[in-house]
Amino acid sequence: MSRPRGAALPVTLPITLAELVRIAPLAAGEVLHLADPARPVEQVVVAETIDRLRRSSPHSLVVLHADAAAGGWSLAAALHLAWERNASAVVVARSVAGPSSAALAQRLNMTLVVIDEQPVEVALQLAGQVSAPDAARALRQALFAERLAEESSTRAVLSALNGELAPVPVALVVGDAVLAGRAAALTEGADAEQVEVDVKAPGERPWARLVAAVPARVPGAAQHVEALLRLARPALLASLAQARLNSAQRATHEQAAFGLLRQLAVESPSTDRVGTAVEAPAWTSDLGWHVDGFNRAVWLAPARPVAAPPEQLTELVRAAWLRARPTWPLVAEDDGWISWCSTSDAEDVSLLRGTLAGFRETAAAHGLVVGVGRPERGVPGLMRSVAEARLAAHVARDSGPGAVQWFDQVGPGAALAWLPTAEIAQVADLCLQDLMAAKDRSTLVDTVLAVLDCGGSLSQASQRLGVHRNTVLTRVARARQLGLDFEDPGQRLALHVLCHALASLSDDPGRSGDGPG
Amino acid sequence: MSTAQAGTTGGYLGAISSISADDVPALYQGAKFYSPAVGEADKSALTAWLAGLLDRNGPVALRRPEAMPPDTRCVSLCVIGSGSAMADLPPSGDEFQLAVQRIEQLQGQPFGAVYPLAAATVSALVPVVAAAQLGVPLLDADGMGRTYALIHHTSMYLAGLSPAPLVAHGPTGESVLIEVTIGPRADRLLRANVDTLGGWAALAAYPTTAGALRRAALPGTVSRLLNVGRLLLERPTPDVLVARLAAINGCSRIGRGRIVELEHLSRPNDVTVPGHPSSLVLEESDGQRRQLRLELRSEIVAVFADGRLVAAAPDLLSLFDVSRGEIASLDSLEPGDLLDVLVTPADAVWYSAEGMAMVGLGSHGIGLDHPRRR
Repeated sequence: MSRPRGAALPVTLPITLAELVRIAPLAAGEVLHLADPARPVEQVVVAETIDRLRRSSPHSLVVLHADAAAGGWSLAAALHLAWERNASAVVVARSVAGPSSAALAQRLNMTLVVIDEQPVEVALQLAGQVSAPDAARALRQALFAERLAEESSTRAVLSALNGELAPVPVALVVGDAVLAGRAAALTEGADAEQVEVDVKAPGERPWARLVAAVPARVPGAAQHVEALLRLARPALLASLAQARLNSAQRATHEQAAFGLLRQLAVESPSTDRVGTAVEAPAWTSDLGWHVDGFNRAVWLAPARPVAAPPEQLTELVRAAWLRARPTWPLVAEDDGWISWCSTSDAEDVSLLRGTLAGFRETAAAHGLVVGVGRPERGVPGLMRSVAEARLAAHVARDSGPGAVQWFDQVGPGAALAWLPTAEIAQVADLCLQDLMAAKDRSTLVDTVLAVLDCGGSLSQASQRLGVHRNTVLTRVARARQLGLDFEDPGQRLALHVLCHALASLSDDPGRSGDGPG
Repeated sequence: MSTAQAGTTGGYLGAISSISADDVPALYQGAKFYSPAVGEADKSALTAWLAGLLDRNGPVALRRPEAMPPDTRCVSLCVIGSGSAMADLPPSGDEFQLAVQRIEQLQGQPFGAVYPLAAATVSALVPVVAAAQLGVPLLDADGMGRTYALIHHTSMYLAGLSPAPLVAHGPTGESVLIEVTIGPRADRLLRANVDTLGGWAALAAYPTTAGALRRAALPGTVSRLLNVGRLLLERPTPDVLVARLAAINGCSRIGRGRIVELEHLSRPNDVTVPGHPSSLVLEESDGQRRQLRLELRSEIVAVFADGRLVAAAPDLLSLFDVSRGEIASLDSLEPGDLLDVLVTPADAVWYSAEGMAMVGLGSHGIGLDHPRRR
């Protein structure tokens, strides 16, 4: 082992420009051009004359002063010499630098910072920071922690992180979705290394990750970024708890209010549509709800029925649904969420369509379907529209996640959507054991369903299935042998429903009938 | 031969032996090249006056100092003060003659020749006026080879000749005689009086002999100025102009660019030289597309290319307006102008240590080494 003596000691990396410009005194100045934030600064040179620059060593930060800051020409000459001497940055009083100086700094790709304070004092402070980089870093972290303590929302915390770590992008990620911050943090590049910090919700449950894309070639940058990301965790948790508290309170409040509203509609003396005399109670406007005019309800529901959606999903749906229309209501009920829009013109659906288009991606990502009711006037109308929307949502489930169904287009076929297909299929498991054991049962079920749908016509069924009439005949005969005998009028409806349930289940790729029981 | 023909029609005549009325436009153009700060305001009155004089009195003989008997008494002439004051209060016509005659009276000896203190600006024209009026030859030599701000910025002063006694004769008929031994004092005393004399004055100074001028003055500068002027009158394309100027005075082009920025009072000023420090930023329109930064005072004192000093006083730096096809004067620049930045080496004496101390970059508050000395 030929490792030099002392190499095992922790190495203090020289401070970088990005770090220096975040803390006083440079933080008070203005960066006219930042060539490379990761550039190390090893020394500070106070240049009184332009000649002093000729003797500066590489990676120096040059503070111009006196004759060296005598005007635009001296700054131009200093920038050129700094470039020749491979300096890290040039710092000068603001009065000296004009637009052309910034342009030249950009052309030479030399970092240029202008300051308002005394150059010599600034140079002294910088020299202290450069000679003790760890102290400067600790100072930076402390300042950042102070800033974080003042932020109360997730967005603000992320924007503080992004501001502090610029140009490194930072994002708060749940699953694959970016909750806040810059999505650029997730794009993998050859020259970027991803730093991740888990953020746990109360109770140690994993909630989200903080992801940052750090330039890979900078030694030590990853550790430093990670330290700052960790620093942001408590602030994020606090903001999360705050949001939870708020949204939980609001959800309960809204649920109760909607229950009251529904009761009001039921108790109203007149139930016919023309005489809707139920006045909207004043507290609805406290919640920001509008129920006067034409109400068109929207029912959001998971594509696959579940007992009650988890709280997190409610939060996500609320965030996504209310992104475009923050004043619309969102009330959790049973297995879905109710929302509605109130318009003075019954036919005006442009707003709703826009919102639905914006929601489509979220709906597909989280396996949701959407049902839309018809526009109805007043509180009782709203309740009717809600029922229609719910029915439409059930129909939409047939088309899979992301589907949107308008009640206007549903018709009596909606009745089938209510069938508890899973339970009916279980009945088949018990009553038609032979059929369920057969390997070709899905073919048989499809064939019998087609024949029943066509009112018993074999030729129509063969056209619909795209097979020969004799094939249909053979399959029907085999189905009869296995217990699927629809000749008996007393059983025909039951068998038709059974076939519908089995066929709709086998359409569902998640519930393929080939599984072992 | 076509080249020989080009030589004659192209205007280059080498050393010139006399100046006639036909040479006045060339004289004016050359004078403008050697001092880009001069404006157009006083052009027609002055040139018409001079051409008339030369028509009436005949051409003025132009002699090299070596061609004159060494004991011939000579005196230099120039205009001191502001050009715009001269446009406001035009010469009555006898100032230069009277200034020379005042020194003749003082010293009791007539002058056998006159010479320009600085062969540039209107000061290149007025010695011809005086020579025509006095009927003496003009020396083909001057003290600056271009123009500098102060009257002791001359090769004569560097060679140990005194500017005094000197006479400033104003356009209203009043005159001031100054007798001092130290050059800078002469300049201060003179400037204190110029305002009172009418804003400008005819100056006669450095009375000496042709023998002394053989070693103290810069020879051939009037011929050179006329040749440059002839070339400019032809309005050649910028490339041809630079190539042919190179043959006459060693001129070369630093770069071509568009003005993107004008800065005023861009440097701390001292009070030794009258002038307004400002800066001009050009973006090179071809080649490396460098940023050219020009530092201005009463002349262009330095050119930085991307922050590197590429030319500086005492080099003669001038701007050629590419779209107008003429030398651009410093008071008519505007952002967007397309300019060639030209550099012409000054006469060798100005690159000596003493010359540099007097008119080099340091005298303009820019503490950098001259690029020709590095």
